[in-house]
Amino acid sequence: MIDEIPRLLQRLDEEAYVADPAIATSLHLAIQLRKPLLVEGHAGVGKTEIAKVLARVLGTDLIRLQCYEGLDTSTALYEWNYPRQLLQIRRQESGAAETDIFGEGFLLKRPLLQAIAHGGRAPVLLVDEIDRSDEEFEAFLLEVLSDFQVTVPEIGTIRATERPHVILTSNRSRELSDALRRRCLYLWIDYPPFEKELSIVRRKVPGASDELAAQIVALVQQLRRARLSKVPGVSETLDWAAALVTLHSAHLSRDVIEATLGCVLKDEGDLRKVRGEIEAGRLPLGAA
Amino acid sequence: MSADLVARLVSFCRALRARGLPVTTSHAVDAARALRCAGIGDRRLVHLSLRCVLTSRPEEFPVFDELFETAFLRCDPGPRPAGEIRRVAREGAPALTSWSAQADGDEEPEQVPGASDRAAREKKDLAALEADDIDELDRIAARIARRLAARPSRRWKPGRKGARVDLRRTMRRAPANGAELLDLRFRVRKTRKTRIVALCDVSGSMDLYSRLLLRFLHALQGSAARVESFVFSTGLVRVTPLLRGREYAAALRELSAGAHGFSGGTRIGECLSSFNAQWGRLVDARTVVVILSDGWDTGEPSLLSAEMEALKMRSRRLVWLNPLLGSPGYQPLALGMQAALPHLSVFAPAHDLESLRALERHLVA
Repeated sequence: MIDEIPRLLQRLDEEAYVADPAIATSLHLAIQLRKPLLVEGHAGVGKTEIAKVLARVLGTDLIRLQCYEGLDTSTALYEWNYPRQLLQIRRQESGAAETDIFGEGFLLKRPLLQAIAHGGRAPVLLVDEIDRSDEEFEAFLLEVLSDFQVTVPEIGTIRATERPHVILTSNRSRELSDALRRRCLYLWIDYPPFEKELSIVRRKVPGASDELAAQIVALVQQLRRARLSKVPGVSETLDWAAALVTLHSAHLSRDVIEATLGCVLKDEGDLRKVRGEIEAGRLPLGAA
Repeated sequence: MSADLVARLVSFCRALRARGLPVTTSHAVDAARALRCAGIGDRRLVHLSLRCVLTSRPEEFPVFDELFETAFLRCDPGPRPAGEIRRVAREGAPALTSWSAQADGDEEPEQVPGASDRAAREKKDLAALEADDIDELDRIAARIARRLAARPSRRWKPGRKGARVDLRRTMRRAPANGAELLDLRFRVRKTRKTRIVALCDVSGSMDLYSRLLLRFLHALQGSAARVESFVFSTGLVRVTPLLRGREYAAALRELSAGAHGFSGGTRIGECLSSFNAQWGRLVDARTVVVILSDGWDTGEPSLLSAEMEALKMRSRRLVWLNPLLGSPGYQPLALGMQAALPHLSVFAPAHDLESLRALERHLVA
């Protein structure tokens, strides 16, 4: 029992996810206590990836609900299949056998209902970017997460046979309610330290030479310390590494950086600022 | 699990709660369950497990780590250090009566070079405004309030007529009508109610403008929109009830009777900090926060910056109206202004009617 966290860490590693003990511990507790796990962190630190890799580790399905402002129950929970209902009415008019058009066959299951009605092994339900939805939806979600049952007036109450593993992610673009936080386990993912980011690059972009990978990570880590308006995440590091591998660069030269900086910096002001630093020879530190 | 460990866990939870973390009994139960599945052999894993269960924000980590050290290392928890979270909460806004006392102390208003000169120069404009254009000011406020009350939301609700057919409700009725969709149901956009939280700087350097701006807030609040108003200089005071349903002159009298001399140094960072601690719940994703200030701050710029960031994160948008921005050649060089700038959604002037009219765009957009 006590070795389970190191073992989980190992399994995550096998699935090409470079985790750390904090991530493994949180996932382990989420699985064991069957509580939703709220994952927060800056953009591009691999929050969404956690749910995907968890589904692979557990050998189960991933059901994803992408949140946005105005998301409502008909897109999150269920909707009736109207064209099918209308066709059925027409068929019945021309003599076909009567069917209840408000039966399961006419129900379109959206992610939340899919997760609840899922047969077999409990799926992983990813509620992505919950901070982008509005409070009304958050309140509704809270209700679903507390008892994992849903009532469709025409059909009745549908209960989850096995509680799904729920991962919620948030970029903190707004504060989530305390009620939601209270119900969840919590994991904060920070930008990884140099060593961890380096091993992520090595895992995900095997084509990059050791020298290139180390240079990229060192520079990105420097950029994170600069005051930028859009701080590059790990996904930017990976994009950049992949771009440089495609361009067959064995190491970072000033020209190469100049040409590909758009992979890391996505803001015009940031680009100008960093280009200035490079011109002035202040970046990258310690590079020729 | 040993009774001793459970007892220690419970007192740890209590200590966290005492320092302001929202830890409930069910958290303590989960903490015990967590230790049972994660094991207690590895101290680091115990730390990570409990943090996963008992915290819900990265801001809580320092307090958690500190208390964890005391609770799970030494047997004697030692004297409890003063809590940061508590401290912020206790530093509420001073009562109106204590305002003048504070201003008399060493919090002398910083002599801002040029600020008083400018005030004197523009006094005439504002005086003229008070006399002639006050109706126009009210009209602008009413217009903004109307627009704010009637913003379409992205959510839908059932309606008699509307832009879109509500298929769910239409189908529900269809079989009853002989399978023809004769009785169409519609849905319409819900209206979204925007809330405004206004924080008006009433320190010495702002004196002339703050009168005008308070008048504007009074008019805004008098209309339908949901407006919460605060004034601040060295302390923060909620004035919503004072401005509501009174003649402006009476409201102003009462305001200044309670706090003679809207003056003293300006501690914007501390005022925002006490706002966030005490009134932060007023601000949500559909709230526009408007700060009316010239940005002359005698407090710590780093505190101001941190509080602005917190406010920005919670609100729909963060608008800073700076009357000085209206004067030609003004550069936002004041330290406070510098600290606040990166967190703003809108930085705009507010020195005359024209700029208030333009405000409509910032508040309603």
